[in-house]
Amino acid sequence: MSVEVIQAKEVKMIPVLLGESDILKAIQLKPGIPSGAEGVTGLFVRGGGSDQNLFVLDEAVVYNPNHLFGFFSTFNTDAVKDLKLYKGGFPAQYGGRLSSVIDVRLQDGNNQEFSGAGGIGLLASRLTLEGPIKKDRSSFIVSGRRTYVDLITRGVNRAQEASGSDANPIPNYYFYDLNAKVNFQIGEKDRIFVSGYFGRDVFSFDGDVFDFNFDWGNATGTLRWNHVFSSRLFSNTTVTFSDYQYNIGNEVTGFSSNLGSNIQDVNGKADFYYALNNEHQFRFGAQLTGHAFTVGRLRAGSDDGLVSFSAGKDYRSLEWGAYWWDDWNLSDRFAVQAGFRWSGFQTSGNAYQAVEPRISSRFVLTDNLSLKASYAHMVQYLHLVANAGVALPTDVWYPSTAGVQPQRSDQVAMGLAWFLGNGWSAELETYYKQLDRQLEFVDGAQIFVNDELEKEFAIGKGRAYGFELGLEKKTGKLTGWVGYTLARVIREDFAPLDPSRSFAQTGQFAPIYDRRHDLSVVLFWEINKRWSASATFVYGSGDLRWLPVGRLTFQDVAGTELKTVVPVFQDRNNFRLPDYHRLDAGLIWKFFPKWGESDLTLSIVNAYDRRNVFFIYLDPVFENEDQIGGIQIPQGIKAKQVSLFPVLPAITWNFKF
Amino acid sequence: MTTPRFFFVFAAVSILAGSLFTSCNLEKEVDIDLPDYDNQLVVECYLEPGLPYRLSLSKSAAYFAPFPDPDDMGGFLQELLVQGAEVRIRHKDQVILLENRLSIDLENQRLYNYTGNDLVPLDTLAPFFLEIITPEGKKITGQTRLLPRVRIDSVVVEFKEADTLARTLTYFGDPGEGSNFFRFVLRYSNQDSIPLQDFTLEDRFVDKSFVLGAAYEFSEGDTLVHTLYHVEESYYRFLESVQRAVFGNGNPFAQPSPLISNLGGDAGAAGVFTGLQYDRLVTIIKRK
Repeated sequence: MSVEVIQAKEVKMIPVLLGESDILKAIQLKPGIPSGAEGVTGLFVRGGGSDQNLFVLDEAVVYNPNHLFGFFSTFNTDAVKDLKLYKGGFPAQYGGRLSSVIDVRLQDGNNQEFSGAGGIGLLASRLTLEGPIKKDRSSFIVSGRRTYVDLITRGVNRAQEASGSDANPIPNYYFYDLNAKVNFQIGEKDRIFVSGYFGRDVFSFDGDVFDFNFDWGNATGTLRWNHVFSSRLFSNTTVTFSDYQYNIGNEVTGFSSNLGSNIQDVNGKADFYYALNNEHQFRFGAQLTGHAFTVGRLRAGSDDGLVSFSAGKDYRSLEWGAYWWDDWNLSDRFAVQAGFRWSGFQTSGNAYQAVEPRISSRFVLTDNLSLKASYAHMVQYLHLVANAGVALPTDVWYPSTAGVQPQRSDQVAMGLAWFLGNGWSAELETYYKQLDRQLEFVDGAQIFVNDELEKEFAIGKGRAYGFELGLEKKTGKLTGWVGYTLARVIREDFAPLDPSRSFAQTGQFAPIYDRRHDLSVVLFWEINKRWSASATFVYGSGDLRWLPVGRLTFQDVAGTELKTVVPVFQDRNNFRLPDYHRLDAGLIWKFFPKWGESDLTLSIVNAYDRRNVFFIYLDPVFENEDQIGGIQIPQGIKAKQVSLFPVLPAITWNFKF
Repeated sequence: MTTPRFFFVFAAVSILAGSLFTSCNLEKEVDIDLPDYDNQLVVECYLEPGLPYRLSLSKSAAYFAPFPDPDDMGGFLQELLVQGAEVRIRHKDQVILLENRLSIDLENQRLYNYTGNDLVPLDTLAPFFLEIITPEGKKITGQTRLLPRVRIDSVVVEFKEADTLARTLTYFGDPGEGSNFFRFVLRYSNQDSIPLQDFTLEDRFVDKSFVLGAAYEFSEGDTLVHTLYHVEESYYRFLESVQRAVFGNGNPFAQPSPLISNLGGDAGAAGVFTGLQYDRLVTIIKRK
C-alpha cells in the first residue's frame, strides 16, 4: 500500500512546461504528493519536508534531483524505465528518510537491436542510443540532454560587443545530463549492471571587471552483481557512488573568492531474497555508507595574499543499516509484510542507532475489495539546510552530530483498494504521521557561509494527517486518474539549539506546504493510431506564506538611510495564498517515416491563462513630493502578486529509429 | 483531424496566442487581508561619545494603516511618537534622566523625543542601563557598552587602466580577542546622500585584516566618507534582522525574520539600545 508507480511512457503523454517531459512532475499528480511552489519539483509527501524524500537512481542516492532551481528534474524521461514512490508502509530495505522513497530505474538497453530515440524542443534536445553489445547477452544505453538558451544569449552578447553597445552582457545558463548503463549476462546465474549519471547546471557571467561562475550538479555510479544461488535464493550486491556539489566562483580585479559545498557517498550493500515457498518469501541484507561532507567552504582573498578569508567545515560519517523483511501470504485472504531495520550513524566520535519496525498487511474482504494497513518507524540522519518551498542549489546537507539528533517519524496508514471492473479501480487511504526532531531556522538565521550552522537551528515536532482518494481507469481509449487529498500539517514546540538565539514563534504553526485540498485529474485519449490527446487539471488550496503584519519607522544612525517602512514579521506562514488551479493540454501527432517513428507533441501549459501566485509582496508607494523634513513618506501600501507562467504553448519533435 | 495540417494550424495559433499572453504583465495588484496586529513601541537609542543622550520612542502600525498627511507635520509626529514616558539611563553611579522634549537633528534628518542634558562619556568601558516606564506603566529595559574603536588602517584609491573611474579599498585590522562585529558605511560627503555601501560583517572568517572594496564608480574630485562601527553582537543581530525583514518581503528565495531587538521588559518593545563607537575617514578621489 501507499505506493505510486508511473511508467516513462505515461509521463511522455502528460503535457509539460516547455515540452520537457518530467517524471517527477508527473508523479506529483498522484494523490498525497502535493508539489512545492508554482512550477518547481519539490515534493512534500504526507506532510514531510522536501529533504525527507530519498531519491535513488539505480540504487544510488541523488541528493539534488533538480535542474534550473527545480523547474525540471534531473531524471531524463528517455533514459528512465519507471519510477516507484513509496509514501508509507516502507519496505525495510529502504532507510534514511522520513517521508518517501522515490526509486527510479534506468532502462537496461535493447539487447536485440540497435535503436535510438530523441527529441528537439524549445528548451532542450535529447538523444538516446541503445543496443546489444552481444545479442541476447549484453546491452548498453546512453542518453544525453542539453538546454540551449545559452547559445542564443552568447550570440546576443557577441553581437552587442561587436556593435560597441554599452549594454550589460546577458548571463549564460544551461544544464545538461548524461545517463549510461551497460548490463552483461554472465553464464546462467550471474548478471552485472553498471550505470552512471552525470549532470550539471552552469550559470555564468563574464564582465570587464567581474566574472561569476556558478555550477552545481550530481554524479552517481552503480555497479550491481545479481547472482542466482538456486531457484529459491538469489542476491544483489551493489556498490554505489553519489556526489552532489555546488561551486560559486567570483573574480573582481585583484580579488577572487570561491564558495562551495559538497556531499559524497560511497555505499556498499548486499540484498538477499529467499523464497521458502510461493506464499512466503524473505528479504534481508545490510549496507554501509561512507559520507563526506564539505559544508560552506569559502576561500577568498586578494591576489597579493595580504587579505584572506576562509570558512567551512568538513565532516566524515558512517551510516549503516541491516534489515529483515518477511513477505507472507498467511491465507487466501490475509497477507502480511513485516520486518525491521537496524540503522546507525556515526560522526566525529558521536554515534546513534535505532531499530525501525515496519509492517504492512492486506486483508481481502471480497474478490474486488481489500483492506490494507501499515505502520513504519523511520529515522533520518541527514538534514538539508534549506529555505522551505523553493529548492536552491545552495541547499546544504548536514549530518547528525552530538548537537543535532536524527529526525524520526512514525506513520500509520489504513486503506481500501477496490477493483470496480472494466479497468476501473479506486483506492482510499488515510494516514497519521508524527515527526520528531524536525529542523527549522532561528529568527535571522544565517545559513550561507557559516562555520557554526547548528546555532541557526531550532528543533521541534510535527504532525500530519490526511485522507487520499484515487480513482483510476487503466484500459480503453480513454484512460487516466483522479487523485484527491485532504490533509493537514502542523509544526510545534520549536526551540533554538543555541539558547542565546531566538525563535519568536510560540505554539503551533504550519509549514508553507500545508495544503488542505489537492485535486488532480489526468486524462489520456488514444484517438487513433496517429492522434492522441491528454489533459491534466490540478486544483489546490493556496500554500502559506510568511507576510509582515506591521511596519515601523527605523531612523537608524546618522549618515545612513532612514527607512520609513520596515516590515514587522510575527507568526510564521500566517497568510494563505489564493487557491491554485491550472489546466494543461497536449496533442500528439504520430507519423511513421521509413526509418522509424516520430511524433510532434504540442503542449499547452496553463491553457486558460490562470495567474497563479508565485509570491506576494507588499510595496510602499512613494511619490517624490510627499516629504516631511526631506524624508519621503509613502502614500500607501499596495499588495502585489507575481505569477510565473501565463499560457505557455510548446512544440517538441520526438523520434525513434 | 486526420491530416497534419490541423496540427500545424492549431500549433501555430496556440503559440501565437501564447506569445501574446506571455508578453502580458505577470505582476498585478491584489487586495489581501493580513492578520490583526497590535501596535508595538519602538525604541532607538544610540550612545555616541561626546554627544547628548537622546532617544526616540515611537510606535509601529498595522501594515496597511494609513500614512500621515505629509502636509501636517504636527499630525505626523503625534501619530508616530510616544510621549509621556519616563526615560532614564544609568551609567556607573550616575542616573541620566531624558526629558520628554523634541530635538531635531536637521543636518542628519533625525528626531528624538527624549533628550538628556549630559554628554555620553568619551572613553568608558562601564555598561549603560536603560529603563523606560511607558505611559501605560509597562517597562522597557536595555543594556549596552561602548566597544574599543577599531581604526581604518588605510583607504587605497585605484583607477582602472585607461579609464577615469576609480574604486576604493578600505583596509582595517581585526582586533582579535573573541568575536568582533562591525558595520561599514560608505557614502559621498554630502549629508543627505544615501550610502553607497552599508553592511554588517563579523570576523569569524578573517585571518587578520579586512579589505572592503567598492565598485569602479568614483570620479576624480569625489569626496567619500568611510565609517567603520565596532558594534556589539546584539546590535549586529538587530541590523541583520532589519535587513532580512526588508529583504524577506517580496523575495520568494529569502527567509524573512522578525526583528531581533536587544530590549527587555514587559512592554514587548522593538528596537535597539547600543553604544556607537566608530572611526571615520574622508577620502578625496585623485589620481597619483
